[in-house]
Amino acid sequence: MIRDLLLGARFAVTGGRPGWARTVLTALGVGFGVTLLLVAASVPSILEGRDTRHQARDLTSGESGAPRSDRSFLYADASTLFHDRPVRGLLLRPDGAHAPAPPGVAALPGPGRMVVSPALDRLLASPEGALLKERLPYGIAGRIGDAGLVGPAELVYYAHRAALTDATADGRGAGFGHNVGVDRPSSAFLLLLIVVACVVLLLPVLVFVATAARFGGEQRDRRLAALRLVGADIAMTRRIAAGEALAGALLGLLAGTGLFALARRFAGRVTVWDVNAFPADVVPVPALAALVAVVVPLCAVVVTLAALRAVVIEPLGVARHTASRPRRVWWRLLLVAAGLALLPVGGPVALAETTWEMAPVAGGALLVLTGVTTLLPWLIETVVRRLRGGPVPWQLAVRRLQLSSGTAARAVGGIVVAAAGAIALQMLFGAVQSDFMRPTNMDSARAQLSMRLDRGQPDAPREVVRELSAARGVTGAAATLEASVRRPGPPRAGEDFAPTTSLTVADCPSLRELGRLPSCRDGDVFIARSHGGDGPDDAYLARTARPGALVDLRDEGEPPLLWRVPADARTVEGRPDPMGWTAFGILATPAAIDAGRLGAPALTAWARLDPAVPDAEEHARNAAARISPTMRVDTVRNMERDERFTSVGRGVFAAATLTMALVAVSLLVSMVEQLRDRRRLLSTLVAFGTRRSTLAWSVLWQTAVPVALGMVLAVAGGLGLGALLLALIGKQVADWWVFWPVAGVGAGLVAAVTLLSLPPLWRLMRPDGLRTE
Amino acid sequence: MSALLRAEGIGKAYGRTPALVDADLTVRAGEVVAVMGPSGSGKSTLLHCLAGIVRPDTGTVTYDGRDLTTMSDAARSALRRGDFGFVFQFGQLVPELTCVENVALPLRLGGERRRAAERRAHEWLERLEAADAAGRRPGEVSGGQAQRVAVARALVTAPRVVFADEPTGALDSLNGERVMRLLGEAARDTGAAVVLVTHEPRVAAYSDREVVVRDGRIRDLMGAP
Repeated sequence: MIRDLLLGARFAVTGGRPGWARTVLTALGVGFGVTLLLVAASVPSILEGRDTRHQARDLTSGESGAPRSDRSFLYADASTLFHDRPVRGLLLRPDGAHAPAPPGVAALPGPGRMVVSPALDRLLASPEGALLKERLPYGIAGRIGDAGLVGPAELVYYAHRAALTDATADGRGAGFGHNVGVDRPSSAFLLLLIVVACVVLLLPVLVFVATAARFGGEQRDRRLAALRLVGADIAMTRRIAAGEALAGALLGLLAGTGLFALARRFAGRVTVWDVNAFPADVVPVPALAALVAVVVPLCAVVVTLAALRAVVIEPLGVARHTASRPRRVWWRLLLVAAGLALLPVGGPVALAETTWEMAPVAGGALLVLTGVTTLLPWLIETVVRRLRGGPVPWQLAVRRLQLSSGTAARAVGGIVVAAAGAIALQMLFGAVQSDFMRPTNMDSARAQLSMRLDRGQPDAPREVVRELSAARGVTGAAATLEASVRRPGPPRAGEDFAPTTSLTVADCPSLRELGRLPSCRDGDVFIARSHGGDGPDDAYLARTARPGALVDLRDEGEPPLLWRVPADARTVEGRPDPMGWTAFGILATPAAIDAGRLGAPALTAWARLDPAVPDAEEHARNAAARISPTMRVDTVRNMERDERFTSVGRGVFAAATLTMALVAVSLLVSMVEQLRDRRRLLSTLVAFGTRRSTLAWSVLWQTAVPVALGMVLAVAGGLGLGALLLALIGKQVADWWVFWPVAGVGAGLVAAVTLLSLPPLWRLMRPDGLRTE
Repeated sequence: MSALLRAEGIGKAYGRTPALVDADLTVRAGEVVAVMGPSGSGKSTLLHCLAGIVRPDTGTVTYDGRDLTTMSDAARSALRRGDFGFVFQFGQLVPELTCVENVALPLRLGGERRRAAERRAHEWLERLEAADAAGRRPGEVSGGQAQRVAVARALVTAPRVVFADEPTGALDSLNGERVMRLLGEAARDTGAAVVLVTHEPRVAAYSDREVVVRDGRIRDLMGAP
């Protein structure tokens, strides 16, 4: 037996140019599949690496902050967005000489200097980063090492800001790093999505590996017939074929490992849907890698032996069973039915749940998709058997498929799984999108940027409005100072603490953003009511905010600083600000109160941007950073998408893109291989004057017919699976037409494969193919 | 009789290996010319050059007064579709088409409608004693039958020249002779010239004239130009 296997292995690597070509093709095909499987097996390591480093750089400060020592430091978050890319920034001011440096940083930079991630360094050095450079006015003292970054493309900086004080800092820290456990998707729905996505994306890879294992099958069958002629029995030929497949698969494993090793070196340079990884993180989980090493050769051998069942290898040639034995449909339908039956076994999945029985859904989806894929060869055979007539290219293609549709069905099988899965996933996404989209109550028509600084100077609103208004592309700005005030004196009977309200100081245009003011001039004061809602009810509000009332501008325990609400203060209706918060309390213009008397007021500002001015947002953010680098700037958005939903969605579509590309490669390789097998025939057709376009159209139809049938099956299977999964989570189908983009991808694949097949077709149509000597 | 096809001083090399050297050959209308020679002597290359499949490196090939060597690929293809017919050693039938569809294929490539093309194909299959193979695929018929189907395919367009490259090379002597008899009869009936590449004297005996190719050079055994 070993001898036969070794003989087969020898055939894989000897046999001249055609033999080598076939082995290289198989090895490359299997290699591509193995590469993707190894990438998939590395995903846990990538996520773990990112999480570990993320936690390692979190601040250690405790709830009440670290005590001041020569190892402590003040910090303030100065993160920002640049062209929608997050830039993580932390301002630091060490209290002593031994303040620790963040991970990846050898030593804290000196005052006015910063350390930056390599990606940020490159960005700042490029013309594209000029606006960001304006926002980060620190000299670059060095680069942050990999240990301090979650990914190589991350934009991070740590700046030493000497002006940081206890009042302006977010807190005092004593170190970096903590462990709170890894944040994983906690929604049952997201788990469902991930499980289905894994099945959908990895199954085509296995289909592809199986297809690659049969590259050059006809040539191999002829060789086996020759072996039969010199005395090999049927069992021997099977073992020889198995040995040959095994050698091809092992070479594929080697090629795949090599490709993976090569690809991981470039992992840092590739960002797919905002996700990238350090090469050091792209390491397959050993158990999964071992599984790949076992499954791939096994798959190749099983597929080869199954293929041999369809042919009779006799000493004088190879005969096929296919014509006499039509494909049976019952066991294929049985797989689909079993999958459909298994799906609901675990019971309904509630979106709010965090635990859920995954095995039935994963198994069910796997069975349904496998069943749908196995239906394809039967469907193609059944349909093309009935096709008649048509022009020459159509006839050539259809007759070719009638004679042998297995190769095409195998190649297209990958598309069916990927497309059916993608349709089911899109249905899931579409139906639950609204659950993961939260209306923010923000009003992006009134302002596009919102800014907040916890400690604002008395004249800050005027300065902010001036600075923002001067920025390019800013068409309007408003700013307020807001502090909490309380009723003077101790709590009364029945009260735990003295009632409080907010006192907002701003100019008239800014106050109009907070209340419906009948008229306003400097010196006016208003009482804004929110009737409950975001603020207190009117009765509670009246305990502090009423005309003629005295309020204490200082916190409890501090010496009182009283201010009387003018008796002519008018009561108005509070209005939601652009961020959606309904204002309440006392609204005062600057002439009515000295803002310097307010205790720790917060500065809030809004900016309206001109959409026609490029980079208006960046100019406004720069203006905000000039006022204070720690000013928090948010984009005003009407809707907010759950970040976990977005990231899972990103992952799924990134992987689907790769899978589709793989399927296209598979189709192309099959087509080129088929053309090579028909080299002499093509030359003959050319000899008696066949036009190139005739053969090109024939190639197109030969690809398009199986792909079209595959898409029909994928659409039916995908919609069915999607509807069932939605039923599991108690949702209605939001859109039955989600398959159009996937069908478009299918059409694109046909076009791409046909176009890429043309150069080899032209080459093979040369008359050289007629030479026999 | 005037020359229908004439090669003058043609040369062709594959890489550094010369396949044809300064070869001259004339084929008259209705004439059967056998091109003989050992394997690798350049016979097939000569046939390919004469048929406009391969453009010679030097010299000219004229057909009916037209220079094939200066014609575009499309024009040569059109000529092959309409005026030439081909038979190869292994038939080279399209395996997925039935025999009648194979015979009808050149007509359909020329723009003829399917029904009409297949009717004419049936007539030729009957004439070539292969009517019972009509509905079967090439893989389902014997070698001799397949080669007769290939001859029918070569003649169905009523070509003025049939190029046959070792047409009996894959057949036993009985089937070979049957194919040659039918090819010869059909060619004479239609007035087609035949350029027959073979290394078998028995097959060459069906010709009117024999030329020998050796090391890429042509020698006319009958002394004709």
